[in-house]
Amino acid sequence: MIKFGPQNLRIPKFERPVYVVAGGLTDYRKRYPEKNTCQLCTEALRMAVEENDLKLDPEEVRRSVNWCVYSQFADHFGDQLLAAAKVHDYLGFDPLGNIEVKTGGATGGSAVLAAAQAVASGYASCVPVVGWERMDEVSTKVGNSYIASAACKDFESELGWMYAAYYALMAQRYQYENNVPRDTLARIACKNHEYARHSPFAQNPGKYTVKEILENDIVSHPLSFLECCVMSVGAAVLLLCDEPTARRLTDKPVQLKAIAGGSHTLRTADRRHMPILLLPNETPETYADYFGAKRDAWPGFSSFLASRTAAYLAYHMAGIKDPLEDFDLLETHDAFTISDVQTYEDIGLRPYGRGREFIESGDAYFEGRLPTNLSGGLIGTMHAVGATGIFQIVELLWQLQGKYDKFHGDAALWRRYGKEKPTDWRSLQVHNAKRGCAISHAGTGSHVTCAILERV
Amino acid sequence: MSIEWPSATLEVVQQRPLTVKNPKTWPHIHSYGGWGRFFAGLQERKILATRCANPRCEEKRLWLPPRCECPDCWHAMDWVEAPQRGRLYTWSIVKYPGELFKLPPDTPLISVELDGVCTKVMSWLKEGKPEIGMPVRAVFNTQRPTHTILDLAWVPA
Ligand SMILES: [Zn+2]
Repeated sequence: MIKFGPQNLRIPKFERPVYVVAGGLTDYRKRYPEKNTCQLCTEALRMAVEENDLKLDPEEVRRSVNWCVYSQFADHFGDQLLAAAKVHDYLGFDPLGNIEVKTGGATGGSAVLAAAQAVASGYASCVPVVGWERMDEVSTKVGNSYIASAACKDFESELGWMYAAYYALMAQRYQYENNVPRDTLARIACKNHEYARHSPFAQNPGKYTVKEILENDIVSHPLSFLECCVMSVGAAVLLLCDEPTARRLTDKPVQLKAIAGGSHTLRTADRRHMPILLLPNETPETYADYFGAKRDAWPGFSSFLASRTAAYLAYHMAGIKDPLEDFDLLETHDAFTISDVQTYEDIGLRPYGRGREFIESGDAYFEGRLPTNLSGGLIGTMHAVGATGIFQIVELLWQLQGKYDKFHGDAALWRRYGKEKPTDWRSLQVHNAKRGCAISHAGTGSHVTCAILERV
Repeated sequence: MSIEWPSATLEVVQQRPLTVKNPKTWPHIHSYGGWGRFFAGLQERKILATRCANPRCEEKRLWLPPRCECPDCWHAMDWVEAPQRGRLYTWSIVKYPGELFKLPPDTPLISVELDGVCTKVMSWLKEGKPEIGMPVRAVFNTQRPTHTILDLAWVPA
């Protein structure tokens, strides 16, 4: 769709407020044979109900639940269809109703959206969202093949069987159109690997220089291994509630002010040129000089219409005028350094063509204007796909509750995962954080959700 | 009566935790459906695209990969030959392709811009060094076709 009818972009509305009350994670590993999927989900749920300072004990929380949402990207990986039913039973939620959500890399974000819809409509009042991915049953090469099955198998997958290659095609075009220094992209990877060093959950932490990132092995030109997300095993859980339940459960409720989804063609190739959909902080003048010899189309290969649409809807839903001013922190789906820069533009942190400035200015860093991926993101911490969008919102929730240190700085938690807390560990708690945003993203932009959380 | 234990056993990868290898080797019988015409066209050295046949449809762009039905009005589309010369729109050289990749690593993957086509066809470069903007022309694998999208490739024009 490139021309919108009057109702196509109707701003979504919750009939009643939705709250995020508790979150739980596992640590994330390349291989995790010690625990099966059901156990990982239980572990994340237990952290949510036992370690989030809830005012009710876990048994009372269980008695409050009336609907469940499950989130797993690929049945291929776990080699178990209807795995959600197995997890639901294992968690002891039978015979309550449940639903499993699947939208590729954005599965976690979409699962939270589905849970929010249930709460906002009055269908449910207390909904656990449980996500996981088990990516260690096959080799990395087969894993990449499985993931590339989420590209178009008729016309695309054969060309690489590798998602990084599809992003690399975009990266080359983006570089050609916008001439971003290679160092700027590498700095995103440095940042997220570094923030991951302070997280006990992280799979791929590290202190890297720009040079080391750029000289690392190339996966698909120009992207190096250290610029690509990890492949993980692990789970994440979030508890969504209506207002009365939230008040009963916690003294630190965080409201889900908005969550909205957008989509675009599965094949990058099929994106037709269309007028730029403007965000509240943009005007037609913003793009008076945008198109030229090199930039011939929008969204083209440089932008994600799905992200722009999700942000457009969520910003209007939450009354966001300028994301850079209105958000205190941000979690992006940094599957690749290039897609991160593209996302900065799609969600209006900088106009199209100028995403690099968000990194170069220092805005994206801890103590910058809008700290981004303090969790370590997908590059540094995890991409257990079905869990990822949930993980992002768990990390946002803890930040907004002032609990970064509790969940990242406790030496006992590091030991729980068989790790030593680094001697140079530092707190990445954003002082007095009030509002945060999380972007969950699939395919080469086939599905995107934008969630906005606010401390109340 | 007494039934024998199964003779097929799973290979144990490690004992603790018990980890076994599940074999998987069956084929999928996949139909291209209406898109099969495109793959058949490659064997006649034609690149077949589609355009909406509905006179009331506002959009009449040429689609490649073809769609049998129009995404704007759901009407049937007409099959049309697409140009076989275009420009390289973007490229990447894949160093670590996934399992199932049938071309050698280091094969340049490309997107191709063709006049009049509203999409940027994803394909591969069979000869030469890729560069954005370079003119390319189509070549076809008709000797030993794979019956996949790999039967179409491009070389510098
Ligand atoms: Zn039509």
